[in-house]
Amino acid sequence: MNSDQLSFPVLFQIGPLQVTTTVVTTWVIMALLALVAWLVTRRLQLRPGRAQTVAEGIVTTIEEAIRAVAPNHVSQLLPYIATLWIFLVVANLCGLIPGVHSPTRDLSATAALAILVFLSVHWFGIRDQGLKAYLRHYLVPTPVLLPFHILSEITRTLALAVRLFGNIMSLEMAALLILLVAGFLAPVPILMLHVIEALVQAYIFGMLALIYIASGLQSQQIRQEARNE
Amino acid sequence: MELSWSTFLLEIFNFLVLVWILKHFLYRPVQSVIARRQQEIDARLAEAREKEEQAEQLQKDYEGRLVEWRTERQQSHEALENELRGERARREKLLVDELEQQRKKSATVDARRQGEQRRQMELQAMEQGSRFAAKLLEQGAGPETETRLVKLFLTSLAEMPEAQRIQLRQQLGDSAEEPRVQVASAHTLNADTRTAIEAALKACLGRAVACEFVEQPELIAGIRVSIGAWEMGINVRDELQGFAHLAPEPVGGES
Repeated sequence: MNSDQLSFPVLFQIGPLQVTTTVVTTWVIMALLALVAWLVTRRLQLRPGRAQTVAEGIVTTIEEAIRAVAPNHVSQLLPYIATLWIFLVVANLCGLIPGVHSPTRDLSATAALAILVFLSVHWFGIRDQGLKAYLRHYLVPTPVLLPFHILSEITRTLALAVRLFGNIMSLEMAALLILLVAGFLAPVPILMLHVIEALVQAYIFGMLALIYIASGLQSQQIRQEARNE
Repeated sequence: MELSWSTFLLEIFNFLVLVWILKHFLYRPVQSVIARRQQEIDARLAEAREKEEQAEQLQKDYEGRLVEWRTERQQSHEALENELRGERARREKLLVDELEQQRKKSATVDARRQGEQRRQMELQAMEQGSRFAAKLLEQGAGPETETRLVKLFLTSLAEMPEAQRIQLRQQLGDSAEEPRVQVASAHTLNADTRTAIEAALKACLGRAVACEFVEQPELIAGIRVSIGAWEMGINVRDELQGFAHLAPEPVGGES
């Protein structure tokens, strides 16, 4: 393993921004998802076909998952959480394609997603409760806990980014090493493990994001209920 | 492993764009079609609920009508039973009356038949008595009996009422010739007796008559005088026959 395996070449530049293979792969994934979404939804009918049934199944399943955690904010959270899950599943699995590396193997990408989760927690919380009410929850049950709250926000965001990056990167590295050492068919079990791990990591990342956002949304509500009691 | 700020920023941008794309091309259309389907299902459920309510209402109406119909049927049934009871009573009365009439009629017929039988028996008995008396008198009667009977005839002829005499005279008519009178007797009459008979007849009829005397032994004793369609006289045969036919009249009459 050398430093090339952990670095991503710059393909071209857009002004000051360097476009790496991670970004290009993300664009391809985005184009692919957009195309599939357009193909599936261009002829939606009340009596669905197979593709429509799968699409409806995915959307309703994610809706139910969100409803289980944040029952009052399903329509509000669905686009963000569902996109997170769908993108992570596809991004994690695309590393199985020879010559393509997963965007989530890049710490920059996972950090970007973790920062988005960090920002979205505050965004949805402030939108739902207002700035003062939202910020006040950092001071309960006592202002002494404020530093711990802040530390928790930072560490969980960091953990999100590093967990996803570390798992996907290590899986691809392990598959590469076994392929180099053992030959042609030996990495197949590792690749199957890769599939499972990709799905699990996508689920964990999305579910943690949902829980963080839901906790930000419901902190005021929980406080209100405690006050009522 | 190093953090690329370009990648970091571009990934943030890419993800937000992807959220927008999927929201507009996947979630919104799919949610829309699910909502439409749910609306259609709700509409059908509402329609089904409405139809169910209508069906329940219809069922209630039907049950109400069924109860009314049963009541009407019961009333009709009772009315019919009353009518049948009345009709049965009327017919039973008619039948009883008819049977009573039949019974009376049968009793009348029986009485008539018994009366007729009794009369026939009496008639038969009298005929037998008459035959017996005739046989007895055939042996016992003689000219002296006949003489007494002729005298009796002459006496009764002399005592004949005037009305009967007028009828006899009208029977004979107004012809110039002497009317012919046949005088039958069981035995030969002597000349005195014949003359007395002619004289009695002339006195009774008021004119002379031509008498023809004949013997008829079947008379047993006595005479029989035939004047046209009239016959009169006193003889044993006619008297016995008259006795034999002196039967009683039939009892009762037809209803």
